[in-house]
Amino acid sequence: MRFINIYKGFFVILLCLFVLFSCGKNNSQNINNNFKKIDPRGVLYLNLGAEPTILNPILSIDSASSGVIDLVFSGLMKVDEKLEMVPDLAESYKISQDGKEYVFKLKSNVLWHDGHKFSAEDVIFTFEKILDPTTNTVRRSSYLIDGKPIKFIKIDDLTVKVVLPKPRAPFLVNMGMGILPKHLLEKENINTSAFNRAPIGTGPFKFAVWKSGEYIRVIRNDDYFVKKPLLSEIVLKIIPDKNTALLALEKGEIDASGIPAKDFYKFKARAKNIDIYRYYSLNYTYMGYNLEGQYFKDLRLRQAIALAINKEVLVKAVLKDFGYAAHLPASPVSWAYPAEKEIIKYKYNSKEAKKLLEESGFTFNAKTKFMEKNGRPFEFTLITNKGNKEREKTAEIIQQYLSQVGVKMNIQLLEWSAFIKILNHPRTPKKFDAVLLGWSLSIDPDMYDLWHSSEYPKGFNLGGYIDKRVDKLLEDGRTEISREKRKEIYKELYLRIANDQPYYFLYYPESVVGINKRVKGLSRPGPAGVMMNIENIWVESN
Amino acid sequence: MIIFKRLLLVIPLLFIITLLSFTMMHMAPGDPTTIMMDPKIKAQDMVQFRENLGLNKPIFVQYFLWLKQLSLGNFGYSYLSGKPVLRAILERMPATLILNIVSLALVLLITFPLGLISGAKKDSWFDNVVTFGSFIGLSIPTFWLGLVLILFFSLKLNLFPTSGFMDPSLENAAVFWQIMNVLRHMFLPLVTIMAGSLAGLTRYHRFGVINILSEDYIRAARARGISEKLILYKHAFKNAALPLVTILGLQLPGLIGGSFVIEYIFAWPGMGQLGVAAVFSRDYPILMGTLFFSAVLIILGNMMADVCYKIVDPRI
Repeated sequence: MRFINIYKGFFVILLCLFVLFSCGKNNSQNINNNFKKIDPRGVLYLNLGAEPTILNPILSIDSASSGVIDLVFSGLMKVDEKLEMVPDLAESYKISQDGKEYVFKLKSNVLWHDGHKFSAEDVIFTFEKILDPTTNTVRRSSYLIDGKPIKFIKIDDLTVKVVLPKPRAPFLVNMGMGILPKHLLEKENINTSAFNRAPIGTGPFKFAVWKSGEYIRVIRNDDYFVKKPLLSEIVLKIIPDKNTALLALEKGEIDASGIPAKDFYKFKARAKNIDIYRYYSLNYTYMGYNLEGQYFKDLRLRQAIALAINKEVLVKAVLKDFGYAAHLPASPVSWAYPAEKEIIKYKYNSKEAKKLLEESGFTFNAKTKFMEKNGRPFEFTLITNKGNKEREKTAEIIQQYLSQVGVKMNIQLLEWSAFIKILNHPRTPKKFDAVLLGWSLSIDPDMYDLWHSSEYPKGFNLGGYIDKRVDKLLEDGRTEISREKRKEIYKELYLRIANDQPYYFLYYPESVVGINKRVKGLSRPGPAGVMMNIENIWVESN
Repeated sequence: MIIFKRLLLVIPLLFIITLLSFTMMHMAPGDPTTIMMDPKIKAQDMVQFRENLGLNKPIFVQYFLWLKQLSLGNFGYSYLSGKPVLRAILERMPATLILNIVSLALVLLITFPLGLISGAKKDSWFDNVVTFGSFIGLSIPTFWLGLVLILFFSLKLNLFPTSGFMDPSLENAAVFWQIMNVLRHMFLPLVTIMAGSLAGLTRYHRFGVINILSEDYIRAARARGISEKLILYKHAFKNAALPLVTILGLQLPGLIGGSFVIEYIFAWPGMGQLGVAAVFSRDYPILMGTLFFSAVLIILGNMMADVCYKIVDPRI
């Protein structure tokens, strides 16, 4: 009987505990009045979605880390709402006639978060660190031109001269790199320094706390050189599950979260405290062919596939109303995107597709329902990464359309690392037939890394697309400084690639984010989101 | 003496375990650079990165370098974050330990009497209800249950936070309020974890009790006219408690393992998330660190279970 009593006691304790922590502090609601104004102690709650790896701009590669780095560090230049590069730590800059020399005048009122004065030394230090081979960075190549390093020269404390071995139009984009404090890192091993977990920058917010797996907290930098930010602090939570994040947004535990297309209407009807913003980013999804493989060398086969798929229906089925069809390798958000009427589009026409297949030597076998050549059916495998529902659905729809013209497509879903290993393997031909993937583009239209013949088999020209004219256009496009001339170059490039179909271009997915109504001062929705100028964002006092 | 002998065996055992896991890990396709699928990153950057990390050396050389550092007490640095491995693991340990210890304790305290009573009153309405409940608990998918609990208890009733460990605003608060806050955050993950394990262990105990109650010595006790209650709580209880030792021994490594699904849904900062992230990003030093800890605990847990058996059960 004693034993029963122990249990009774235990449940009483449990009950008491429950009651106790149910009435613990509930600090999210504190209703004082209805007066809406800027809350000087306002805290913004965001979600990073994953644990950041390293809070050092030259070492980090993941978007969670960038989410913090962008608040703590500043670069010489930054991207504005119109996707243009504008001075940030730089006061102004001048480009020489030949496009090889840049002189940056630095702002004089900039302090590091520890009170130290910012100077040209820090700029030189940062770029030297990137170029140092012992630094574990993957950014080095961005500061090499034809294998030669870009030179960074200190003129005086507030002037830096940059000398390029050759003109390079997208160079300014690389000047957005966050600048590191020399006085704190000079004597440190940059790869393992504790600085990478408690960074000091010049940005609008100072790093305060990193609770691994929980959140990162940054607080207002009163001395921020642009202006004093309106928020008092930002808590960047780490909520990996998208469903949980959505519930947390609805409950008001976080102020912003992405909304998956499938949840959009349900969420819109339910969450009255949330404003929804939609915008397009610089990315597109495609099916890429292995042009060195057995089938896809033949342009007619690629065109046949393009004709066999009803892209409009596919996009509607996969993305609902949140995205539209892509026909060329650029984002409509980019300044280099050509006029609508100039774009080459393959209209759905399965008869024409069959005709093209027959022209290239295939005959329809009525028994097997497949197109065959030398007694073997047209069969290939499309690989993509596991866990991306949009891509999985896209693959299934393509499969169905192709089976209607007698092409057998198998789908293989791979774990990310295994998937990338196949694509990145530096051999030719690579061991895949076709791949479903997406690219996230830079704000500069330069696409040398994706399409130049020198980027195959090592590099991101995954399918081995080799075309002399395209090579020439890519080289001209990145050397030419005039935007008007570049626009012409890229137009020709896009249309040539669209016609050649090394990729079957699929769609531009739209980004949908929900923001709590209490958050004000948002920027115009654009590829970089709605919180471009974080120093202008404020929350209502309640 | 026997314990000493077994302790000596631990070293070669650890050596074999780590060697095997090290080679298997490296045999998985890809390496830390493969996650860098970004057109701005050049192949030559990745080559340099691999060289800096020493990934170009033969696997066995890499293993012995790791072993050498380990013998000096250095678990190495994470490839991705540059953080010392030991620190990365220790940061995540408290959240995992508190959740797992509390859930294990509660599960044992609840399942044992439930199993005892269901076993003793086999096929009664009580037993049927418990059995029915167990099967429901076993068959509900954890991620679904977790989300439903958040939706209901957090969003609709506003009783608990949706996720996380502690409110950032309490960083400097009194320890008492911090503990209360952690408990509030822990409630839903705890319920989710327990739903599955309650069911399993109740079934396990029930079966144990049924077995014991049909033993000869119980029959003998009954023949002597001892009351059913006494038989159950005195004679059967002790023997039914024996398997607990095994379970506890097996649970020891599980205590630091962490449950990835639960941690993922509730944004609980535990070891499960650390380990799974390390697997996907091929962060070998972190993986080896967690593996090493688990291996040590598995071995220790087994040894302790054996020793405890000797104490509890004189037959062994």
